Amino acid sequence: MAEKSAVERSRSTVFVVSARKRMLNKIAKTAGEGLLFALASFVAVIVIFIFFFVARDAVPFFQLRGFTEFFTSSNWYPADEPGQFGALAIIYGSLMVTLGSALIAVPMGVAAAICLSDILPFSVRQYAKPVIEMLAAIPSVAFGFFALVVLAPLMQNSGGTMLMWAWWLLVSPFLLLAVIVASDLLTTSIQDEKRRHNRYMLFVTFFGFISLALLFTVGTLLNGIQIITGTNALNVSIILSFMALPTIVSVSEDALQAVGRDIREGSYALGATRAETIIKTILPAGSSGILAAVILGIMRALGETMVVWMASGNSSHIPDPWFNYLEAIRTLTATIAGDMGEADQVTGSARFHVLFAMGFLLLLISFISNFVSERIVIRQRRILSGQ
Amino acid sequence: MNIGTRKILDRSFTAVGIGSIIVMALALMVVVVPIVSNGIGAVFFTGTVEHRKMLRNEFQRGDTQHLASEVASSERYRARVYEILGTFEKELEGMEPALKRQYTSKYAQTRTAIQALLGPLPGDTTPMLTRFKYGQTRWEKAEEKLHDLLYESKWDNSNSEIMGKEYFVSRSNAFKGTSLAPLFPYMKSNIEKMLLPEFTVYWGFITDSSVDSHFFGGIWPEIQGTFFLAMGAMLFAFPLGVIAAVYFTEYARPGFLNSMLRSANSTLAGVPSIVFGMFGLAFFINTLKVSESKSVLAGSLTLAIMILPTIIRAAEEAILAVPKTYREASLSLGSTKWNTIATVILPAALPGILTGGVISLGRAAGETAPIIFTAAVSVGSAIGLADVFSSPTPALSWNIYNLASEHEAAAQLRHVQYGMVFALVTIVLLLNLSAIVLRARISKKMKG
Repeated sequence: MAEKSAVERSRSTVFVVSARKRMLNKIAKTAGEGLLFALASFVAVIVIFIFFFVARDAVPFFQLRGFTEFFTSSNWYPADEPGQFGALAIIYGSLMVTLGSALIAVPMGVAAAICLSDILPFSVRQYAKPVIEMLAAIPSVAFGFFALVVLAPLMQNSGGTMLMWAWWLLVSPFLLLAVIVASDLLTTSIQDEKRRHNRYMLFVTFFGFISLALLFTVGTLLNGIQIITGTNALNVSIILSFMALPTIVSVSEDALQAVGRDIREGSYALGATRAETIIKTILPAGSSGILAAVILGIMRALGETMVVWMASGNSSHIPDPWFNYLEAIRTLTATIAGDMGEADQVTGSARFHVLFAMGFLLLLISFISNFVSERIVIRQRRILSGQ
Repeated sequence: MNIGTRKILDRSFTAVGIGSIIVMALALMVVVVPIVSNGIGAVFFTGTVEHRKMLRNEFQRGDTQHLASEVASSERYRARVYEILGTFEKELEGMEPALKRQYTSKYAQTRTAIQALLGPLPGDTTPMLTRFKYGQTRWEKAEEKLHDLLYESKWDNSNSEIMGKEYFVSRSNAFKGTSLAPLFPYMKSNIEKMLLPEFTVYWGFITDSSVDSHFFGGIWPEIQGTFFLAMGAMLFAFPLGVIAAVYFTEYARPGFLNSMLRSANSTLAGVPSIVFGMFGLAFFINTLKVSESKSVLAGSLTLAIMILPTIIRAAEEAILAVPKTYREASLSLGSTKWNTIATVILPAALPGILTGGVISLGRAAGETAPIIFTAAVSVGSAIGLADVFSSPTPALSWNIYNLASEHEAAAQLRHVQYGMVFALVTIVLLLNLSAIVLRARISKKMKG
């Protein structure tokens, strides 16, 4: 007996950890975790540093020149003596291309995301996803080069014809659909089947002629347009929209996938078609996620440098009329990229600091929109999981 | 609503979705196809004897004897051109002043056009710039220059409502009756014998450095610079990103601090790339002074900050995708948490982490804005590995911009620009493709 217990005792000492060793272990563990934490919090340090160092060089500009000129004047003559630093036209240019690209990218992106999450079978989706990833991977300078060397001359030489074709191809299917839906809605109240049908055909012909006339007049109008310069806001907006699309598609697809299966099935059970299910139930449920996707996509367009620098024409004025997308414009990012090389020589001047003021403006916008979109995503996740 | 209309709406809704995916695929094609088809032209093209002369003189490549015989045969046909020019110059001397004035500037234009086509004429002083030492090295350019020689381009601005239209006037008519007149038909019919076009495969476009700011030679300094910058960025960002991901997934406890760190990560991911460039200039160069001015090191650090959030996210996802059973099995065998992470979880997550790394590498290679102020120069030779701490480098992305937008002869160098874009797009897309393939294999393996 005694012999056995001795063996047991000697065995058990292997697993007994002395107080000293336990303490050492604990210290090593805390130190290790502390080190990991320090390395992980490096990201936060960088963010603070970026804000600090961009702001540090931006503040002197406002000290030198105040806020009024920067935000309200559109006289941008930084190289003059004394210089004029009105950035209104530049800020406007940035907003203009961002809005333009959003107008193209948001409907397309959301439609594509719906298609990927709800319509296409898995086998097709497998091939569609890499396409979107490749589109996201193409370097911005390659897009810029394309805009400058291929798209700009094309626009300049046959811009009107291109606009006309775009109008025909994009608008005619939607007009046709609108005609059918409008005629249907106007005749639903009629009870008699035969009368209803006759009235329906009448409406279709009537609206059909109106829309055909609209298509033709606007088409010929567009065909007559001569684009003075190929490097303009429209060119940049088109290219930027393709750069923003992958972000919009992938983030909103995630948002749509997060909407549960039960909601979809409930809607189908009530007799809704797929389109009705998507528009009336899935989109409202995923709307906040889609909003977040749109914000992220817009930020991509606003912060893009190379495309706007190469293909926007870099002319600092507000187009006339203000919605004229066929004029050259200038954006914040392009101004920073283009002027830094010369302004860098005169560190300390307003000319140098104004660029940092622009950078800080961009940084603030991106920070706010990021924050908002993140809150939105978190809120959506909480609501969906709470149901 | 009518059931038929509802069906139509349903179908067209599907059509819109599929349509926008197709438009995206088409956009990808429309952008990539011209880049590929024109980019290949930088390596495979119809080269003239001038190209082979250039290779011999600038890079000491090519068969000297064969070249000498080619040059001799082309000179035989060129001699007649020089003879005509000489005769006309003599005739010009003897003309009346009014007539002489009329012809002099036109003759000068013609002579310049011939110089552009065939290189310096006998009796010219050797030009300073290499670009003027040779005639047209590419056959399609030579054909353009031949057209320039045969026709003078003029602009019709008579209608002020529309933009001016270009039209061409034959030069031989301008010199009718003079001894220069036979030059034009002679040039037209004998240009091939003077330039000896022949299909050329110029791999040197990838491996040579450029001569006279990209007029001749290749893009090796840019490719190497891109490689240095991207690899340098990975060197900083990859270990840091993986460690941060391990912390976020394994150690972080939910709470205020953790959510702040996550917010910081997504904020960093959303910062516009040009702002990274400004930060790199203000912090790494002006404050930390990691180098005198622009350097590969400063550029790599800036790029590293830019790709850090992507790496962290990818690594996090990869670690979270490791099945829970692995972890539990390892812990039940008595290994510590750290041991489990280092020997079980990280190896299992490695392919996923590498996928994220490869994609980030592509992003670092393709970005331009962060390196404009921190690392890139427009002209320069390839730098050695020892110079990365102090000297800037040319890089593909920056030089594409520079060559296409700021170079004084941007329109003449389209083939080089296309070649560069093709090289960059190939590098980036190959990296991404390999990541996609890698990920497909992982998911197949996970399914079993």
